[in-house]
Amino acid sequence: MPVTDVRVDDEGIHARSGREVILDVCFDGRRIWSFWLHRDGAALDGGHLVAWPDSLRAFLDGATRLSLNEHGSETPVYDEEVRLGAGEGRISVTDKQGNPLALDKDNRRVKTFAGRSAEHVAPLMDAIDEVITALGKVGIEGFLAYGTLLGAVRGGRLIGHDSDADLGYVSRHSEPADVVLESFRIQRDLTALGYRTTRYSGSAFKILVEESDGSLRGLDVFGGFMRDGHLHLMGEIRAPFERDWIFPLGTATLEGREFPVPADTDRFLSITYGPSWRVPDPAYKFETPRSTARRLSGWFRGIRTSRKEWDRAYASGSFDRGGGPSDLVRWIAEQEPDLGSFVDVGCGRGRDVAAMVAWRGVPALGLDVHGRSFRRQETQHAANDSVRFWTFNLLERRHHAAVAAYTGLALPAHRVVAARHLVDSIAADGEPMARLAELGAALAQGGSGRLYVEILSTWGSDGYPERHRLVRAVDPVEVERALQTAGARVLQRQLVPVSAEPGASVTCRIVADWPSAGSSTGGEA
Amino acid sequence: MSIKDRLSRAAGGASHADLERRVAELEAEVQECRNVNLRVAELTDLVTQLLVPLASGDQKKVRELVDGYHAGL
Repeated sequence: MPVTDVRVDDEGIHARSGREVILDVCFDGRRIWSFWLHRDGAALDGGHLVAWPDSLRAFLDGATRLSLNEHGSETPVYDEEVRLGAGEGRISVTDKQGNPLALDKDNRRVKTFAGRSAEHVAPLMDAIDEVITALGKVGIEGFLAYGTLLGAVRGGRLIGHDSDADLGYVSRHSEPADVVLESFRIQRDLTALGYRTTRYSGSAFKILVEESDGSLRGLDVFGGFMRDGHLHLMGEIRAPFERDWIFPLGTATLEGREFPVPADTDRFLSITYGPSWRVPDPAYKFETPRSTARRLSGWFRGIRTSRKEWDRAYASGSFDRGGGPSDLVRWIAEQEPDLGSFVDVGCGRGRDVAAMVAWRGVPALGLDVHGRSFRRQETQHAANDSVRFWTFNLLERRHHAAVAAYTGLALPAHRVVAARHLVDSIAADGEPMARLAELGAALAQGGSGRLYVEILSTWGSDGYPERHRLVRAVDPVEVERALQTAGARVLQRQLVPVSAEPGASVTCRIVADWPSAGSSTGGEA
Repeated sequence: MSIKDRLSRAAGGASHADLERRVAELEAEVQECRNVNLRVAELTDLVTQLLVPLASGDQKKVRELVDGYHAGL
């Protein structure tokens, strides 16, 4: 049954098809985006409307030859000159350097492998080689996995619509805690070799590799293990499997080089992509059984709650640029005449840290989960050894420990810890307030300092929460309860409307300390 | 006999809603147990990699150790 009634406008792509189809969207002959018509569309007028993804909308201002192909077919179901927005020129989906962009399966803008020269992928091939060698040095036999394995086995090439490379390994351990510890150790070893890494879960992390044009490419390392006759591989696999189907590893050719792969690639790809793995499908998404997702999430996940939204925010480069110190840090400066040091948890661009250093000249530490967010301030303070900016994940206790140790060494009392719009920028299931209270207890114990928390308590109609990318309003009672559970004494609570306009959002400031034993006198709020 | 009937009989005649509630509770409890794995690994890692070496180093080495531990996170 054919795809009919195709119409393209500023809303999106309208089409009708009795069966589910994958459609590739090309602008001037280059694939930009793929979608499933039924899965990704909204039913409308007997057909489906697939709205333009937000990540693409910014480019849709001008003309293009838009063709729509059912995936795997050479014959377009639609091929017309279209005009979107009010622009006069050709639509160009490129980054600032002019590199062609496309959307990946999660509709993120990526530089895809399609159209990239061998020279461009050589550093990634080098990195795969080097990382597999590095894994070997610590007794881990790494192999190509997921889309990278699929590309190698199918045609010896990186898949054109893919944007990163995936490696896997199967641990000798079978207890999840041991698998996590091993993954920590591997990441540490790779860091020592000079790689930049970021952790995704207890058993997966990403290595960032610089390509010849200066762009960064991700290389994901997924930990796996055998347990109860099943292969478990982060992120989505749990299937009956034999160790002999993986070891001894075989080899496959990728971009002209030999790399290790599981012994039985057919079985391996079948549990990853289903028995039809030989047929290309760029819009493929894992359909993970609920029991598998629960197992892997229970054992390994929970450290990246709301992270995607922040990845996107800082990916733009222009987010939260400009502006001065916050009202909160000005208020803290007034409240704290005897400040000894300052810690800003979730410091973003780092302006409050810079302001406090400028005003008071105290040692300071800016913490944010995005290393790129504070880069400018980090560079400006590079010569000042008492001012540090660290990447920090509130949801990982090892990060707490590192910060607590550094604080003990380098940040004298009276220590002020600020957390402005941190708890309300992480969804409740990440339990950010409980984690922040634990961190506060570690940094301000025994009366050595105070914690200042600012949250959005009323979600107004003024656009304030959206501008700050907040995910929820937080009940101040929830904050106080978490603080008290962590042994804190709440000293102050203050509601602060962000403006005098009707419908204004309201923030709440809560100040707490951890008095030394015997001096606790209860709240003064 | 249907599965539903068998389940109901096995549960001593408990209602469907009751069983759903108990399954949800059990699932939550299983997840709690699973969650401990990551926590145990985190704590083990920082004890072996940070606390034990901290206890035996001088100030300069301690600072290097803390920086190094943070870099590897």
